[in-house]
Amino acid sequence: MKVKIDTRPLPVVIASRWWRFPVYLLLGYGLYHFYQSPPPEGLSLEGFRALVVFLACLVLWVFHLLPLPITGLFSLIAPVLMGVMPAKQAFSFFGSEPVFFILGVFILAAALLKSGLSTRIALLLLRSAGHSPKRLLLQIMAASALLSFVMSEHAVAAMMFPLILVITRTLQFIPYGGSYGRLLFLAMAWGCIIGGIATMLGGGRVPLAVGMLQEAGQETITFLQWTSAVLPVVLITFLAGYLVLTRFYTIDVDSVANADDLITTKLRECGRPLLEEKFLALLVVGAIVGWTLWGNRFGMATISILVVVLLFMFRVVEWKDLEENVDWGIILMYGGAIGLSTILNSTGAGLWLVKTQVLPHLGSPWLLVSLLSLVSLLLTEALSNSAVVAILVPLGLSIAPTVGIDPKIIVYTVASAAGLGYALPISTPAMALAFSGGYFRIKDIVLPALLMDLISWLALMATARLWWPLLGIRI
Amino acid sequence: MNPAVLKLELMAYGIRPGEGLFQPLANPFGLVHLTLPEKLAVSIHLQERSPYSLHNRNNRFFLEKNGETIPVQWTPPLKAYEKKTSSGLAIKEILTVHGGLIAVHPKGPCRFGLSGLSCRYCGSTKALNEHPPFTKKDLVEAIEMVLEEKRCDFVNLSSGRVTSDDGGVEWLTPWVVELRKHLHILISLDLALPRSLEWIDKTYAIGVDALYYDLDFFNPDETRPATFQEQRDLHWKALEQAAKIFPAGAVLSHLVIGFEPLEETQKRIDLLIGKGVVPILVYFPPLDGSPLSSRWKITPQEIQGLYARLFEKLTQTGLNPHWVQQRDVILTPLEGRFLSDQPARYPLALQNFYETSLGRIVTLGLASLRRHLRVREVPAP
Repeated sequence: MKVKIDTRPLPVVIASRWWRFPVYLLLGYGLYHFYQSPPPEGLSLEGFRALVVFLACLVLWVFHLLPLPITGLFSLIAPVLMGVMPAKQAFSFFGSEPVFFILGVFILAAALLKSGLSTRIALLLLRSAGHSPKRLLLQIMAASALLSFVMSEHAVAAMMFPLILVITRTLQFIPYGGSYGRLLFLAMAWGCIIGGIATMLGGGRVPLAVGMLQEAGQETITFLQWTSAVLPVVLITFLAGYLVLTRFYTIDVDSVANADDLITTKLRECGRPLLEEKFLALLVVGAIVGWTLWGNRFGMATISILVVVLLFMFRVVEWKDLEENVDWGIILMYGGAIGLSTILNSTGAGLWLVKTQVLPHLGSPWLLVSLLSLVSLLLTEALSNSAVVAILVPLGLSIAPTVGIDPKIIVYTVASAAGLGYALPISTPAMALAFSGGYFRIKDIVLPALLMDLISWLALMATARLWWPLLGIRI
Repeated sequence: MNPAVLKLELMAYGIRPGEGLFQPLANPFGLVHLTLPEKLAVSIHLQERSPYSLHNRNNRFFLEKNGETIPVQWTPPLKAYEKKTSSGLAIKEILTVHGGLIAVHPKGPCRFGLSGLSCRYCGSTKALNEHPPFTKKDLVEAIEMVLEEKRCDFVNLSSGRVTSDDGGVEWLTPWVVELRKHLHILISLDLALPRSLEWIDKTYAIGVDALYYDLDFFNPDETRPATFQEQRDLHWKALEQAAKIFPAGAVLSHLVIGFEPLEETQKRIDLLIGKGVVPILVYFPPLDGSPLSSRWKITPQEIQGLYARLFEKLTQTGLNPHWVQQRDVILTPLEGRFLSDQPARYPLALQNFYETSLGRIVTLGLASLRRHLRVREVPAP
């Protein structure tokens, strides 16, 4: 980090640093005001207050007034303070199954990183580009996407980032100094983003949305069901992403022989796979099989925590490795968001909101799905994709029964679209890392990102129209 | 007699000890602390040939010159100078107190000190080399002992003569951090010029409140090195950058009067103030026996106009004169009001407020708040 002195006029500095405090005060006053107010007709007092808490959390999430995990925690205590429910009940929502599933997935990703297995796989996938810049680009994108099938996308990005940085430097690209350097970072980021929606392991979004579905008393979505539903979107957007990148940016390098040599050298440095790596690979495969075959019977979280226990039984990781590599904050955020969603449903607040505010404007289930996916795609460019899920899924789940569609469709629609933010560093850690490489600015990718948003939306709609009916998912 | 003129004359000629005086009369560095009419503090060397003599009759102190007497107050030297830190070092071997400023030269004697004379700013002497260097813990203890006896608002650390790119900041950083950790006091640094401007940002960020980049002289002559012009350009850039970063009036630069034509010094005063830097005019006639004494030509009467101009320019710009703290060894810009016709109501009221306990709390609080607001950490490129 580098020290910088903000030399703008002091009132401007104060306004930019302390603008949150008046907003906190307003928010506090708002909560107090509504606490004193009677509920609107047709809504219980608890439901009204739950709705107020939801709106407060919405403001906190959207404007990043607090870190996401802290807003998650706030969403657990606010209903208690507002008298919606006793503390015991509110805090019990944190202990939901999806939170433990996510915990297990994060620990597994940390083990993959720590053991070096993920790096080995990445290097194997990058090997033999045949000196072709286009092929190296495709390999980077594919490696990032494939690894994001089994690890959370931000872990993949964190692992790939130093590799890409070394490759760009080996090819003697300096920041903002050439188009190909920019392409490599974007290929990494977009690969992670697109691959991250393919399975439930690509990030916390899908488990979060599925958790909300479960807590709403609906049948869960299994590992296989999710992947089979969104795979066409992944394939279409991956192909489109590669084409958009190579059409929009020129490849200003003839050969990547140096990068090939570097990858070969690094792979050689990895040596032979250790016993721990082999065991870990076996566990990952076992976990995927377990989630697919017995996810419904034993619960996804049970299998993921069992995998964690096995990791420790065979000493593949140490606890201190997890302390460094697991994003504990996001787990807090998910626990809070799932709890809030449950509170909205159990108090009838969500249903009231939909009946009075949304339904009068919605004509058909297709309109709902189209709108939800479009809003998710656009919101995820400006918000953390987990925040988008936390905001839109509870609303969608409330609307679904009244519009007459399967609530699972809401989860498929929102959770997949919310993962596809291609432009801004705030949308996903993968984009943030790509930006930090210093090879492109936001203005460099606005147009391609908007095009990708449009393609993704069309791909999702096409999949919903043509593919989902084959799987028995009908809108 | 005009108190400002009296102060300049005392700084130029020193005083002779008269009758009825207490011992020790001077502090360990040979300076006698007096308060002149209008509460002007001054610390003066003893000089055998001075026209002024100091006397005490019935605990009333006065100066005498050609039969004329001027009432003054004498302040005994700090008792803290004679105390020792837990490691056994005498406080006088660590610091010097000038009014509300504690001057420290952690690297050993400064250039003046090395010449064999006692430096009137940092108090360092050649003798500093004769004992083990003091530690940060020693310094904190020493300052605490001084603060028990006397209110001081500033600690000034001098980097000494350094040639590194940072101008001495890097070496002083642990000292500043230690002082910040233990003491609620303003900190200023007397630094050499950094070669890279980012060191100025770092200087403010580590907790420094005011900064001295001393220009000393402007007019290159045969004694200046060939790179003087280049250094001067760098100096301007550094001063401009520092003035942007530090509070208004907290970037200071010493200008030595007397070694170059007064017109030249006057031009530099205007230039410095125009860049947001407060010049501190140093009127330090070399002591008898100093190698520089033969080159000294300027009398106190000749330089009064400079001080008046400095005061007037400063009050026009709104730069805060309160950051100038070595009040007893210089004639401060605000004290220049006695040589000008321009009123000084507002800066004087502000100065009086800063002198109060509330003023001290406000100054320290605002300095911390300002730093909290302005300092950011950004990813390195």
